[in-house]
Amino acid sequence: MASTSTSPIPDVCLLVEGTYPFVAGGVSSWVHDIIRGHPELTFAVLNVGSHPAAYGEPRYQLPENVVGLHRVFCQETARAPLTGDERAELREEIRRMRDSADARTEPSRVLEGLRRLHLEEDADPEIWRGILTDLAAADLSLPELLYGRASFDLLTAIAEQVASEAPFLDLFWHYRAIHVPVLRLLAAPVVEATCYHAVSTGYAGLVASVWSHRTGRQMALTEHGIYSRERDMELARADWIRDAAEADDGGFGLRTATWAPRISPLRRLWSRFFRGLSRLTYAQATRILTLSDVNRKKQIADGAPVDKIDIVPNGVDLPAEPPPLLEADAAAADGHDVIELRPAPMRVGFVGRVVPIKDLITFIRACDEALRSVELDVRVIGPMEEDGGYASRCRDLVARLGRAEQIKFLGPMPPAKIYPDLDVVVLTSFSEGQPLVILEAYACGVPVIATDVGACREMVEGRTPADRAIGPSGFVTRVATPKETATALVTLARDPKLRRRMGAAGRKRVTTFYQRQDMLAAYRALYGSMGAAGPAVAAAKGDAPAGNVTAEA
Amino acid sequence: MAGIGWKLQRMIDRGSLAGTIGAYLTGVAVTSAPWLLTTAVLTSLRLVARRSGTEFEVIERFLTVVYAVTVVLSAPVHVVVSRFTADRLYDHHVEKIGAPLRRATALTLFMFAVTGLVLVLLMRLPLPLAVVGAPLCAIIGAQWLMLSVGGGMTSPVVVLRAFGVGAPLSLLAAWVFDHSFGFGPAGYLYGFAAGQLATLGMLVQGVARAVPGRADEAARLLPAFREYRLLAFSALAYYLSIWADKVVVYLVMGGDAAAFYAAIAAIAWFSVIPAFAWIYVQIETSFYQRFRAFYSDIEVGASLKQLKERADRISVEARRILRGAGIVQASASGIAIAAAPILVRAVGLSPDATPLFRMAAIGAAAQMLTLLEVLLLYYFDLRRDALLISTGLLAGETAFTLAAWGAGWPPVVGYVVACGMTAAAGAILVRRRLSTLVLDTFQSQPFGVA
Repeated sequence: MASTSTSPIPDVCLLVEGTYPFVAGGVSSWVHDIIRGHPELTFAVLNVGSHPAAYGEPRYQLPENVVGLHRVFCQETARAPLTGDERAELREEIRRMRDSADARTEPSRVLEGLRRLHLEEDADPEIWRGILTDLAAADLSLPELLYGRASFDLLTAIAEQVASEAPFLDLFWHYRAIHVPVLRLLAAPVVEATCYHAVSTGYAGLVASVWSHRTGRQMALTEHGIYSRERDMELARADWIRDAAEADDGGFGLRTATWAPRISPLRRLWSRFFRGLSRLTYAQATRILTLSDVNRKKQIADGAPVDKIDIVPNGVDLPAEPPPLLEADAAAADGHDVIELRPAPMRVGFVGRVVPIKDLITFIRACDEALRSVELDVRVIGPMEEDGGYASRCRDLVARLGRAEQIKFLGPMPPAKIYPDLDVVVLTSFSEGQPLVILEAYACGVPVIATDVGACREMVEGRTPADRAIGPSGFVTRVATPKETATALVTLARDPKLRRRMGAAGRKRVTTFYQRQDMLAAYRALYGSMGAAGPAVAAAKGDAPAGNVTAEA
Repeated sequence: MAGIGWKLQRMIDRGSLAGTIGAYLTGVAVTSAPWLLTTAVLTSLRLVARRSGTEFEVIERFLTVVYAVTVVLSAPVHVVVSRFTADRLYDHHVEKIGAPLRRATALTLFMFAVTGLVLVLLMRLPLPLAVVGAPLCAIIGAQWLMLSVGGGMTSPVVVLRAFGVGAPLSLLAAWVFDHSFGFGPAGYLYGFAAGQLATLGMLVQGVARAVPGRADEAARLLPAFREYRLLAFSALAYYLSIWADKVVVYLVMGGDAAAFYAAIAAIAWFSVIPAFAWIYVQIETSFYQRFRAFYSDIEVGASLKQLKERADRISVEARRILRGAGIVQASASGIAIAAAPILVRAVGLSPDATPLFRMAAIGAAAQMLTLLEVLLLYYFDLRRDALLISTGLLAGETAFTLAAWGAGWPPVVGYVVACGMTAAAGAILVRRRLSTLVLDTFQSQPFGVA
């Protein structure tokens, strides 16, 4: 594990998967905000990454109160092809490792934990705490997993019980791909902290749970999106899993109207694994925080204990200056913040990373459709380098539709410069937690058109009766339906007053329910309840808060 | 391997007795013809020489040593070269075969020429014999190399034609050199060498035709020696074991006893020919098909249940071949044991040799079964296990032959005990490995390397 630390025990260890501080995005911004919002606490950050070459330089300047940045990788960077001599050496090494793995007399508790992780059907947290106890034993070496007989017995048990139709060769490699990261993470040295806070379930949640179990320190979990559901969506599209689809259609490529793909046993295996990781984390977490009621229900369905869950919505700071008023409307404003109306074309923004899960393709198609009826000035604002292939496809689509004049890719911009120049923000994501983009738009009085994912509906239409009484602050559309998004765009473009009304409702909603200070207060209370009391307690213990991280190992 | 396998299968699939006999005769031809023809020529030379009153013992001893040394020393080379060739055929890089094979042939000729030179000096051969002795060693060493590659790449007809023409040519040339040019005993060696050179020439021609003209000159064989070193050591140990007991007898009992012992062992070894042919046909046909089916099924996405069924079939097939080989060998050994007095008399040995011959036949049967086990282990790339069995056989033969002599028993008793024990151990090992075939196939795969 690579790490840089300049401090004694931090108050909170935040565990993130692949995001902060190396990848820009909603979760990273949230983490950054949480750290900056608690200057009285010290933080360590553990970033769980895929392999060392996957990430570049940090995208965020670490705040002063971050006392340690640690990295742990699930995989190693692939080695160069072997020569004949090296292959022979490796072969001998494997033989020795197999001999030593099979010489083991005591059964491995980790293997038992992994067996139950895959095969356990019951969501009872007690059972999952037992599985976590087995995994935390960390008594299985990588060679034992890769080459041992007991590990192969587990593989065959999985094959027979949950993936009997799967191509065994594929299952074998997937088995390794699933478990090698788990073993690496279990072997990672514990980063001491007063409490742990995982920002997702999955691998970060696993590490947080194991460390919490080993140290006896409390752990909290915040789920923005529902990890297992998001992985399911990725798995559904993953082309690295060989399906039996060819066999489904008789091998002739003739897919009739009645054809439906079977769920691949390998996808099912991965899905069960991720669900298992979530259940482990739910079982170990002292508190589970989520952003919306929709997500809370999903967590409960996935086995999270109801009494542990709290809803803490994201929050934003309201701009110091309220949105400017149109002179003509000033009299009607009646003391409330109202939104400036501009002449056509309506300025439409897509704000976010250009990645498949955001479904920019649907956004572009919707704009194309709407542009047949109204004038629009469309901006795609956000980083494009995360998935270059997808970004190219989006650009190509715009060019093919002949909309390069109306739809522009502007790249990333600071939030303060984005929203004052927009009339409406559109989200077409396949999956979201509680998008910060919506709150930022609302704070500037900009209405939103969003797909019905995560907390979007309750953010647009209201969660509680008091919230709903404010009125809708935009439109909710179905996922991947450009026509619905286009209709909403046309409606807003043709009715500036509706746009203004919705913008005002958004601003009122964020003012009432989504203030950053409320969110930070909730987390301050949470950290306090887990023993992270800040410098007063630290000083009493003789610990000194420390300097900042200066370099990344 | 697959090519000859399909041909044999087609012959058997005709369903006629003639087709089946043809398949097994092909097996005899491929496995034993070079050795049978060479033995026949050497025996004929000895008979002709005796009739003409020539002192032939020096030449005979030299040829025996040359064959023993070349067989043993070339074994690691031809195992690695044939494995390298098979791998290049498998990964469709046939252009990488030609250049390394050419270099290996040149190196083999050079190394065995040096070896021959050392042998003629050690054996103090007279100059006329020494002049041809060293090149002959190189020729025979290169023949083994060509045989190993030719067996995999060319039709068996190429091998049969080379030895079928070369063997009588050796005999004829020997007679001509002795009688027409007055070379005396040296003429036999010159004539024999000429015939063997012709054999080598035809083998080289056949292999050259099979190797594609397009050659990758950068392809190298040396890494294969590193990669397959366990196979090479295994082959070396097995071929050393063929001579180990004879060397022990020579060292402790002297040259005459060793010659007597070697003659008995050589005749007894003839009893393995039917089983050899049977094994060859079975391995190349039904076993190979099941073997391929297992690995093909892995590649095309078979489930665990299907793979286990395939592995079971291989296991059943291996046991069937071992059992079948045992039955065929037992029959051949039974006949040899029953006909021992006649056979011993026919080759001019004293009646004292009869019980020893019977024991040698039993030992040869066990050694043949050991070879089958080693071949099965090679098939599944279980190099270390193959090495274990081969070195076990070598060590056993050496130790038990010595122990038998120490105890005052005939050395052949030690040979029988060593071969019997190794065959039994090999059978247990093969059975155990086949029972974990699926496990071993997968859990031996490296991780994180290209």
